[in-house]
Amino acid sequence: MLIELLENPVCTECGLCREACPVFQIQQQEEFSPRGRAILGSAGIRTLVFYQCTLCRSCRVVCPIGHDPAGETLRAGLIEASIETPANQAMIANIREYGNPFGPLAEGEVPKTLTCC
Amino acid sequence: MQQLLSLFHPDQISIRHETRIAYSRDASRIHGECLAVVWPETIEDMIRLIGWAAETGNDLVPRGAGTGLCGGATPQNSVVIDSARLRQIGSIDIPANKIVVEAGVPLDLLNRHLKPFELFFPVIPGSHRSATIGGMIATNAAGLHAVRYGRIDEWVAEATLIDGKGIIHHLSAGDRGGIAGWEGITGMIVQAALHLTEIPQQRSLTLLCFDDLKGMLEEVAHLKANPSLSALEYINPQAAALVGWAAKHTLLAEFHSMDGKVEATIDMAAIWRARESLSARLTLAGFPISEDPQILPEAQESTLDWLAIQGIPVFGHLGVGIIHPRFLQGDPRILELYHRVSASGGQISGEHGMGLKKRQWASLAMKVKAQALKTQFDPQGVFNRGKLC
Ligand SMILES: Cc1cc2nc3c(=O)[nH]c(=O)nc-3n(C[C@H](O)[C@H](O)[C@H](O)COP(=O)(O)OP(=O)(O)OC[C@H]3O[C@@H](n4cnc5c(N)ncnc54)[C@H](O)[C@@H]3O)c2cc1C
Ligand code: SF4
Ligand code: SF4
Repeated sequence: MLIELLENPVCTECGLCREACPVFQIQQQEEFSPRGRAILGSAGIRTLVFYQCTLCRSCRVVCPIGHDPAGETLRAGLIEASIETPANQAMIANIREYGNPFGPLAEGEVPKTLTCC
Repeated sequence: MQQLLSLFHPDQISIRHETRIAYSRDASRIHGECLAVVWPETIEDMIRLIGWAAETGNDLVPRGAGTGLCGGATPQNSVVIDSARLRQIGSIDIPANKIVVEAGVPLDLLNRHLKPFELFFPVIPGSHRSATIGGMIATNAAGLHAVRYGRIDEWVAEATLIDGKGIIHHLSAGDRGGIAGWEGITGMIVQAALHLTEIPQQRSLTLLCFDDLKGMLEEVAHLKANPSLSALEYINPQAAALVGWAAKHTLLAEFHSMDGKVEATIDMAAIWRARESLSARLTLAGFPISEDPQILPEAQESTLDWLAIQGIPVFGHLGVGIIHPRFLQGDPRILELYHRVSASGGQISGEHGMGLKKRQWASLAMKVKAQALKTQFDPQGVFNRGKLC
């Protein structure tokens, strides 16, 4: 390879990665594309959109300069600011109260929903 | 906005802050105020939206993938129409080598769909991963293989446009003047019938380095005489050095034959990947502004020489005279470049379009043509106000 894939914090907003993003494929809205997230992040916006990232890094692989979406960092910022999804809040409350993320379960009962961020 | 919200299913419209910020610019990073984004799924959706805009005096900005480099899809207190949900690919008409696709289909998705049939759509801009057929038609895209396949207008058999009056036009090759290259000022392209071609049986490429510009341009003329030439890309010494290559005038020539020295698919892919990363890498190196003049063969030596002496990094599709000199924002030499290009009979925009970035440099002929098209298709000025000229 003539150019090594670098890990790069800067996004040039070229938009070449959006089709690689599984979340964009479902939502088809720019704010859920890797570029959209980078634009929101650079505008200092803290938003639940950052939870809707699988952290798969497909965008980084196709990005010509290896931009890293830093999904964990963006989420850490949300947690610091106590910005949580209802699912997130339910999961934490369940863990605190019942010791599991699913809520009250009878002996041998299989959870019907997996509550997660 | 309440009235607009009431016209669409909640999934098809957003006035959320996050949406409006994410749609406030295209790849040029020229930004403006986005009032709302609508994702039409049918022609009826479009007609309702256009009716609302005409009644309320709002501006509608068509948008594909937002990879444009001149602010063509940047809103200016506008409602953005995103083609992302117009993604249907019709069946292939094999005997005629034709296909009908919706405007929001990204080029690479189309070409992946065509591969099993050994066909492809050969107009391939550097943004092929994301660029949509609608956006490519609206900018009359050229690109990496223009030296062989030309621009997209030669490959559109018919395009469906909904104009500013809400009228549906099926514009065929003969009367498509209202579409290709008009940057969304005449209406929204929703669908197109495209000509296709066979995937070449053979492919190879060669990288050539030159110390001397004159010698390189002689080689360009020689390569262009080869009927199997399928791409002819240039990288100047400054651009090459900035991305860690030998600081020489470099040519990448691709052939649909075995005339090139590199034949292994994996090696060719690596070279193309490196070439296609140049734009983003030069942005990172401090040269974010991408120009796209088209220069006549007789002016190429003096223009490329001037750019090299100025230390301006350049790459581009030299086979068709379209080059991408890169600048810092506000570099006064951008204007000097425009003057040089115009004085030597070239075009200041070879493929990106005029958008917001270059509108004040539109020629009188372009202004006259745009005005006539506006009168014909969009007399109330519903679509992409203040763009192109
Ligand atoms: C890295 C990179 C490389 C590039 N390389 C090339 C290249 O080699 N050749 C080239 O020609 N360009 C190139 N471009 C520029 C850009 O990708 C092309 O102009 C492309 O055709 C734009 O497609 P899009 O879907 O992103 O359109 P957008 O950027 O969304 O829109 C471009 C223009 O078309 C209009 N438009 C979009 N969709 C529609 C529609 N459905 N109906 C009516 N109007 C519409 C918009 O209003 C706007 O004026 C490059 C850009 C980048 C970032
Ligand atoms: S890491 Fe997140 S933004 Fe990047 S492709 Fe995966 S889901 Fe999309
Ligand atoms: S993440 Fe990379 S590919 Fe995606 S918009 Fe940013 S620079 Fe372009």
